[in-house]
Amino acid sequence: MTVARRFFTQEWSALAVAIAIGLATLSALSPAFLTEYNLYVVLRSFCVVLVVAFAQMLTLAVGQLNLAVGALGGLVAIAVGGMMEKLGLPTGVAVFVGLAIGVAGGVLNGLLTVRTGINGFIVTLATASVFTGINLGVTESIPFYNLPPDFVAFGVKRFFAVPYLLIPPVIAALLLALFLARTVPGRYLLAVGGNPHAAELSGIPRDRIVVLAHALSGLLSAVGAILAEAQLGSAQPTIGADWLVISFAAPIIGGAALTGGHVSVAATALAVVLVVLIQNGMVLAKVDPYWVQFLLGALILSAVGLNRFRAIRIERA
Amino acid sequence: MDLAIEAVGKHFPGVVALDDVSFEIRPGEIHALMGENGAGKSTLIKIITGLYQPDGGRLLIDNKESRFASPRDAIGAGVSAVHQERNLIPRFSVGENIMLENLPTRRRLVDYEAVHAQARRFLDLIDPSIDTRAEVRRLSVAQMQIVEIAKALSLEAGVLLLDEPTASITDHEAQALFAVLRHLRSEGKAIVFVSHKLEEVIALSDRVTVLRDGKVAAAGEPIARMSRSRIVSAMIGREERTAEIGARNAVGGVPALEVSGLTTSLGHREVSFTLRQGEILGLYGLVGSGRTELARALMGDARILAGEIRLRGEPIFVTDTPTAIRRYRMGYVSEDRKSEGLILADSIRANIAITVWRSIASGLGLLTRRAEERVAEPLARRLDIRTPSLDQQVGKLSGGNQQKVSIAKWLAAGVDILIIDEPTVGIDIKTKAAIHELIAEITRGGVSVLLISSDMPEMITLADRILIMRDFVLVGEIENERRYETMSRRIMGFIHGEIDMVDAKGQAEANHG
Repeated sequence: MTVARRFFTQEWSALAVAIAIGLATLSALSPAFLTEYNLYVVLRSFCVVLVVAFAQMLTLAVGQLNLAVGALGGLVAIAVGGMMEKLGLPTGVAVFVGLAIGVAGGVLNGLLTVRTGINGFIVTLATASVFTGINLGVTESIPFYNLPPDFVAFGVKRFFAVPYLLIPPVIAALLLALFLARTVPGRYLLAVGGNPHAAELSGIPRDRIVVLAHALSGLLSAVGAILAEAQLGSAQPTIGADWLVISFAAPIIGGAALTGGHVSVAATALAVVLVVLIQNGMVLAKVDPYWVQFLLGALILSAVGLNRFRAIRIERA
Repeated sequence: MDLAIEAVGKHFPGVVALDDVSFEIRPGEIHALMGENGAGKSTLIKIITGLYQPDGGRLLIDNKESRFASPRDAIGAGVSAVHQERNLIPRFSVGENIMLENLPTRRRLVDYEAVHAQARRFLDLIDPSIDTRAEVRRLSVAQMQIVEIAKALSLEAGVLLLDEPTASITDHEAQALFAVLRHLRSEGKAIVFVSHKLEEVIALSDRVTVLRDGKVAAAGEPIARMSRSRIVSAMIGREERTAEIGARNAVGGVPALEVSGLTTSLGHREVSFTLRQGEILGLYGLVGSGRTELARALMGDARILAGEIRLRGEPIFVTDTPTAIRRYRMGYVSEDRKSEGLILADSIRANIAITVWRSIASGLGLLTRRAEERVAEPLARRLDIRTPSLDQQVGKLSGGNQQKVSIAKWLAAGVDILIIDEPTVGIDIKTKAAIHELIAEITRGGVSVLLISSDMPEMITLADRILIMRDFVLVGEIENERRYETMSRRIMGFIHGEIDMVDAKGQAEANHG
């Protein structure tokens, strides 16, 4: 097999080509694109989206879904903000408790799904509403603006074009890739997604693995929320409200199987890069931002169609 | 390890799968478990492996009472199994599938070198040619079966249960498997072996237990004391069951559907038969032999690679199911009426009329209740569907009445040819007789029926002729003499490969002459 052919059998090959074309086009059309500051802006806008996409990717991997990613994120954001502003807790403590709330929310989703046997779609649809309700009830929609300066600084600081904010998502991506490829719980997670019945017959504690996937998804939602808070410099109750579509779009564009058992960290990350590049390109080209939504939909459809086509081609070959 | 179950029962809604069954496996023996389709073998295995919970009775391990709440418990106690269904993770490698219960790790990470090396050891026992790094979904069915066996061996369990392990592998691989099993026996392992192949059972096992209709028909008899005919007798039962359905017209002999040399994308090879007008043609075979798939192919749900189908002498090309139904007036009553045959949440009226919605809709394309009733009412009466109202939800009917509705919808469509797949699974004896009467009745109106069934008495009661399918090939065709004992022996002969096609044809012709 030639190098080129091997490249094109990779799931992320189409994404990589699209990104290369996008980068070339943007830098050719707009001299502003390759400036250090614009690159910093672009990289900074990856951060939250990346972890949110990973949060959904994990539930997809086990054959579930999590409609509460954004709602749980919003709850964590205002909890962390409140702890820092109203209770005056140190940043580290507030962040730790925020992550714990994320895990607890995920465990709740998982346990409800596993114990009641109710479809995860319904369960997370309901808990999403519950989380949002608590969020708005506590804050009465008023953001927390007085966050500790070191926390806010973390959201703006950069090393040349690389924002500090990008460090947690990159670490998360590396750990996730290792987790899914090389650890026993990670393999079990994909096994349960790939064939739940077979996994159970192999002695894998299926229910515990489903709860684990939801718990990690909750944890990543919380990470996303805290990053968003640092990026904005304030704890907005609306954090997470617009996460849902992109959380599904990125793993799916990255070739995740909706039936479970197959996800790719690299392809999901590349999908995020592609979507954000397109958004950035549209801003540079002064396109009405409402059309970004339209383009995202078109992108999901074409990516899924392309993957299906590729799968059929490989089957036949 | 000594494992025994005592007086175990298992009920499913409408069926008694196991009734007061006791079964004992001793260390150092190969114990064959036999029985016809639906006799309860797989249910028994699923209870021993913790997949099903028994309704009553006890499970003893080394004479201590225990309970397997899940397969995990059973594996923990040293019981491993190869089930009849495929149980592999399609996207994982062969090696990882084999070692899944027990992935070797180094510094908390999965050690893939060790995974493949260890999997290799177990795989080599049966087939060294399979690559442990290949993805399971790219393997052939036989290779997957071998991976399943290697996976069960990898647990090095005290009790090993194999549910039809040789159904899809070659003789060569089966011999390798038997050598491994004999070796395990010499190490003191207890092995339960389910097979329909009598030769294998006699050659391999020490004792045999036979199940029939969920009861024990032979309990752990030493194989030396069981002849093959005694095993078959235990499987089919002694009592002569007589065919009792109303008189039927002599079959006219005009061919309604002629299939010749049919080879399909589903795996059928050179299938040829003729269904005559007003006839009930039986299609018998074990689960997985390709019967339901043949029905799907005839209904346009598979690619025809070679061969011809003729309807009343005219060649036809069934491109898809709507064409089969509308243009060629063929219908298929699914074996799975709950998920494929009926819309459970909808009314009897709608379920019967669904096949003719297009033709009964008003000029504006609207469906009225009256129009549906005009179709459904006479059929409900003719088929004796017991219901207070045609508005009754189909999901709330008994299994027998549901089956009547799924047949009624095809009569509404006015089919000439009806393929009926396992019509009485999960239906009680009394209603079963009513369904049988109904099937005989519709043929009197000129409908030709292709009857698929694993239920031997049903086949012998209903069919005029019986085709026998094995591994997607028709291996036999016999006139039904309606004598239970002789017919079932002949059918079993074909299933177990003792009689070949030429013999049977000769015999059938001799019977005619």
